[in-house]
Amino acid sequence: MNSPAVRRRLRRLPLDIAAAVTVVVCLFPVYWMVSTAFKPSKDIRSADPHLFPHTWTLDHFRRAVEADGFALFWRNSVLVTLGAVLLALLVALGAAYAVARMRWKGRRQFMLMIFIAQMAPWESLIIPVYIISRDTGMLDRLPTLTLIYFMITLPFTVVVLRGFIGTIPPELEEAAQVDGCTRTGAFWRVAMPLLAPGLMATSLFGFITAWNEFAYANFLIIKQQDNRTLPVWLSSFQNTFGTDWGATMAASTLFALPALVIFLLLQRHVTSGFAAGAVKG
Amino acid sequence: MPVVDQRTAPRAPRRRPAPRLAVRKTPPRRQGADRGHRLWPYILVAPAVGGMLYLLAYPLVRAVLISFQDFRLRQLISGDAEFVGLRNYRTLLADPRFWEVVRRTFLFMAINVALIMVIATLVALMVERLGRIGRTAVLCSLVLAWAMPVVAATTVFQWLFHSEFGIVNRSLTGLGLGSFDRYPWFAHGTAAFAILVTLIVWQSVPFAAVTLYSALTTVSPELYESARLDGAGAGRIFRSVTFPILRPIFLLVVSLEVIWTFKAFVQIWVMTRGGPGDATTILPVYAVQSALSGQRYDLGSAASMVTVILMSGVLVLSFRQLLRQEDESR
Amino acid sequence: MKYRLLAGGSALVLTAALSACDVSSGPDSGDGGGRTAVDVWLMRDSVSAQFQREFTADFEKRHPEIDVRIQIQEWDGIGQKITAALASNDAPDVIEAGNTQVAQYAESGGLLDLSDRKGELNGEDWLSGLAEPGSYEGRQYGIPYYAANRVVVHRTDLFEKAGVDAAGIKTREQWIDATTRLNKGGTQGIYLPGQMWYALAGFIWDEGGDLASESGGKWSGALDTPEALRGMAFYEELQALGEGPKDSDEDDPPQAEVMAQGQVAQIISTPGGAGVIAENNPGLKGRLGFFPIPGRTADTPGAVFTGGSDLVVPAAAAHPEEAVAFIRELTGDTWQKKLALAMSYVPNRTTLASAVADDPGAAAMAVGAANGHATPNTPGWAAVEAENPIKDYMTAVLTGGDAAKEAAKASQDITRAMNAGS
Repeated sequence: MNSPAVRRRLRRLPLDIAAAVTVVVCLFPVYWMVSTAFKPSKDIRSADPHLFPHTWTLDHFRRAVEADGFALFWRNSVLVTLGAVLLALLVALGAAYAVARMRWKGRRQFMLMIFIAQMAPWESLIIPVYIISRDTGMLDRLPTLTLIYFMITLPFTVVVLRGFIGTIPPELEEAAQVDGCTRTGAFWRVAMPLLAPGLMATSLFGFITAWNEFAYANFLIIKQQDNRTLPVWLSSFQNTFGTDWGATMAASTLFALPALVIFLLLQRHVTSGFAAGAVKG
Repeated sequence: MPVVDQRTAPRAPRRRPAPRLAVRKTPPRRQGADRGHRLWPYILVAPAVGGMLYLLAYPLVRAVLISFQDFRLRQLISGDAEFVGLRNYRTLLADPRFWEVVRRTFLFMAINVALIMVIATLVALMVERLGRIGRTAVLCSLVLAWAMPVVAATTVFQWLFHSEFGIVNRSLTGLGLGSFDRYPWFAHGTAAFAILVTLIVWQSVPFAAVTLYSALTTVSPELYESARLDGAGAGRIFRSVTFPILRPIFLLVVSLEVIWTFKAFVQIWVMTRGGPGDATTILPVYAVQSALSGQRYDLGSAASMVTVILMSGVLVLSFRQLLRQEDESR
Repeated sequence: MKYRLLAGGSALVLTAALSACDVSSGPDSGDGGGRTAVDVWLMRDSVSAQFQREFTADFEKRHPEIDVRIQIQEWDGIGQKITAALASNDAPDVIEAGNTQVAQYAESGGLLDLSDRKGELNGEDWLSGLAEPGSYEGRQYGIPYYAANRVVVHRTDLFEKAGVDAAGIKTREQWIDATTRLNKGGTQGIYLPGQMWYALAGFIWDEGGDLASESGGKWSGALDTPEALRGMAFYEELQALGEGPKDSDEDDPPQAEVMAQGQVAQIISTPGGAGVIAENNPGLKGRLGFFPIPGRTADTPGAVFTGGSDLVVPAAAAHPEEAVAFIRELTGDTWQKKLALAMSYVPNRTTLASAVADDPGAAAMAVGAANGHATPNTPGWAAVEAENPIKDYMTAVLTGGDAAKEAAKASQDITRAMNAGS
């Protein structure tokens, strides 16, 4: 009873309980979404809800997938999101490199501009953006959404990437330059491999923002309903299916799935990478 | 944590003389390159600046213009609006409802940010003390909660708190709290407000906790060791060792969370549209309400401009801090 | 090397992605070589899928040069959607709008003036409840499409079992009495969600009150008048005779689907709701009946809101001629009669009333229509509906709030919304 192992166990008990609570609190909503999606409708509405589904059904998923245009909206979301994230990474990489590695006039102002851009009130820019897109014939088009999402994610991407680049000692590249590489070549060969986890972590943020965006997708896609994206579909889905919480949860699951899978796969990079970027601030 | 290791490891080469010498040995090449270099940074930031000018600054200017105009549905359609000076701002600032919303926005932000920072710090400290398996489990679940798309999470929370079939009401009733039988959460201002806070805290804690935790891993164990040898208790260690090191990143996280909760719009819009009554109307919701429901785009714009000004007021302090770090990092 | 490849690859993907978007989002060139595409927005439940198919096929046969593309829109958030459409350069050609919504769009100049088309669209026979809200400052912008008002849809078998004669329910007392008798065991006497504000409006009009009143050109909310409070008291009494959720309206969950589950004896709905119920639960076919909403006394039926839709053509529509052709067909004799029968609507013209005379739902609706009312006819009203303080008021009272206090608050909100809007 008094063996040190047991005592250590006991001392760690509160910590373990806290950890368990954290896990449960974090996961329960996610779990409840998925399990509701798999439960038959009559269990969903039964008087005493079961924590675990007794019987499993794929009906809700079938309804969600067979709903009008699901595949199309999925594709639209993927295209818009990928486009925005890649564009933001590319542009931010250049800017972050300039900020982290070069000395130039206006650098401080540039960073100030980036910080300010972070608090841009995007919700209230809908009307001006709408007017501008209308006057340039960009309404109803997916590239418009791509550009907007690019801009929403760019400031944060620059900040984090700059932090990452700052963690790579310039001497490494300088050494490569001495070995006959150009400055660009040195960057690609020496710094890029070290930067890869940072790029992944950063792109996740862009991904989740663009994947999620609702207000612009809802307001700027007017007549071409084939160009709607998943968040808009999800919100109208709730209208169409009303009481059908099973199907709604199945739709939410399908919508959340890519984000959940990607984050989980890159979990290590997310957790380690972010700080490295952010520590530099 | 690989990246963190890289961060500390590469410090070493700086002491290695070879590369430095190599650089010094080739001054002509460097100078020649410098002339080209002078343009390089500008070329590299050009796309970012261009993007910000056209996609952000330009719409922002248009929004500012709208806030000085008489701009309603008619003007949105026809395009020619009349300037009315500060009239919209005067209307706005004279509206007691607006001030009520401002007050609520600050309350909402303060509650959220305080909860997020306290919980996130505790979680981060906890994760650091956990064993490998526990740590992976907690980090994985944090990341899953974080990855949950906002619209999906909001829908799920609506389902959790559904008055008739929601698991929350069922469990509370099951625990003997009969008054929660079919309790309409979204019909009561305070309850709806509390649910939104819960949702936003749930969504925001993972980012803050993970970031703080990663920063904690950069604190060298020797520091703790020596503090402990000096006889410092846990609270003392946190105050005089951990926190000072975390301070810059703590500031960064706080300012990001301030920005994000100040702008929490989608959650509220999807869940309550600012209702019941005005109970969950914060500034961005107010702006969109005046613009889209009342067709008063001018008032909506003015409200967002005031929002931005108020938000920058809050952030000025942390901005100064961030910029100071900026200077030091060179 | 690997990373250069990666970067090149991503640039490629990006280009591909953007160009792929272009293909799908290109302007409505396209299908049907040389035919003009007419884009039409109709509201959910305005037409059934079958009606839509039949009408489209027939229309395209008669107008081979026109390609009809109908999109069904959701009521939720529709105001914002129509606003975005009206202000765009490439609006749909025909939009269905709620009759009370037309005024604000007309005021803004976003709609095409159709006054000189009245003749060819049989304007002289239009229902005034649709035609009047469709006009603004003497010009006609909205073309009447269909009207409907609410009746009580009930389960004949449950009424029989409880020994209640639906035909005998003429007054509120009789109604409450019958509903109390029906509200036994697993059966809900009436499923009345807490936020069905059109029903509340009817009860308020019955008492002689109104939602808002005008004096000296300024509108103010009137929910706190004694008449309006009596209307709310009756609503509360009725609502308690079933398990309707206090915090949502008839669309969440759709009340027809709730009734289709079989435990509900009555709902307040347009007669078209019966079709949806039977569709969800074919077992209830033939077991659904209708009666007008009872009034305070036996000699007047309960007041109802005359709802309905107008068809409008945005000023920015690319094909106004084809749009009018579409409207002419849809509001013409043949299809109006079919629509009225298929969806249990009141046709848009008084001369067509005989078309639905044999339909029990339409007959009950016609009785109620005699006491039809409209929401305040001002562009400012749309702002009230968009924000809808009435719904919050109802939930507050039903969940135990002080009626007078909540009514005063809601009236203030209505006043503010009506005067802020326009």
